[in-house]
Amino acid sequence: MKTIVISKFSAAMFAAALFLAAGMVGSASAETAADNYSLYCVQCHGTAGTGKGINAPYLAVAPRNHSDAKAMGELSDANVALAITEGGSAVGKSTQMPAWKHNLTAAEIKDIVAHLRKMCKCTGAAK
Amino acid sequence: MIKRGITVFALALLLAVPSAFAADGAAIVKPCGSCHKLAGPAVKTIAEVKARKAPDLFYAGSKFNKDWLVGFLQNPTVIRPAGTVYSNNIKTTGDTDTVAAPAKCASKLSAGDAAAAADYLMTLKDAKMKTGVAKIGEFSKAKAKMLIIKTEACNGCHSIEGNGGLSCPTWEGIGKRLNPDWVYSFVQDPQYWDPKVWMGKRDLDDASMQLVVNYIASLK
Repeated sequence: MKTIVISKFSAAMFAAALFLAAGMVGSASAETAADNYSLYCVQCHGTAGTGKGINAPYLAVAPRNHSDAKAMGELSDANVALAITEGGSAVGKSTQMPAWKHNLTAAEIKDIVAHLRKMCKCTGAAK
Repeated sequence: MIKRGITVFALALLLAVPSAFAADGAAIVKPCGSCHKLAGPAVKTIAEVKARKAPDLFYAGSKFNKDWLVGFLQNPTVIRPAGTVYSNNIKTTGDTDTVAAPAKCASKLSAGDAAAAADYLMTLKDAKMKTGVAKIGEFSKAKAKMLIIKTEACNGCHSIEGNGGLSCPTWEGIGKRLNPDWVYSFVQDPQYWDPKVWMGKRDLDDASMQLVVNYIASLK
């Protein structure tokens, strides 16, 4: 009986800890890669990821086609992550690709890189 | 005696009329809450952002210039070419996205109601926003455009002087619309105002920020 009481207490403590942890996660608002892509990337790269978003006609440099296995396969995961984190200029590409480091956490950027690999059906080049 | 009583009553009525019939700005704005968020804090998830029907107004007094508000409330125009949240107004044909016609604000107020509503909206301020940071005056438009177009590529998402992207608000008439101090604050830290806004934060020094706010203030 005593054991059961302790278990209930432990369960309650665990639930409380989980609740608090959930609250902390909630304030950080981690999002799925698909959701982040749909809000931050689609405006230029497009819903299909082919670089034909609603802003694309107004950009001096065409946004990258994320479904292009050959072109995406030539980029390492680190290069793609750097482009997202610091912007296009950090990888010698267009300044029209902004830095997203203030919008996305490092973990979210890593998830987006994995998401892009699914879109291009390719793996990243070695560094 | 009776005559004097009538005169006093008539005078009292005359004095009472303006306040009795003065439009109540808060009451006029209240129905706007069905689409606009009138109280903070800002939403914090993408799902909540995508459910947003109209721009947040709970810091309208920090963001807008009152004269512009009075005019806009009488004759609303489309500021966001792809709607409040661009991703809700995309039409995809094949692999190409275009903008579906965004919903326009249906409310149109009389001049009196617009003035009262603007008075109320101007009371909705963010207490933490620094004021007096934007130094509006002479500036180099060439330097500003070099920074805004070439370096920061703001025109990728904003239509500037008639040319630019569609996912963010147009800069047409933006100088009339926005308080330069709010522009300074928003460009410096967009996520302070809207944690999930689809604009990247820029790391600009004060001299660059002054070029941005002066250029924006000049677009009237």
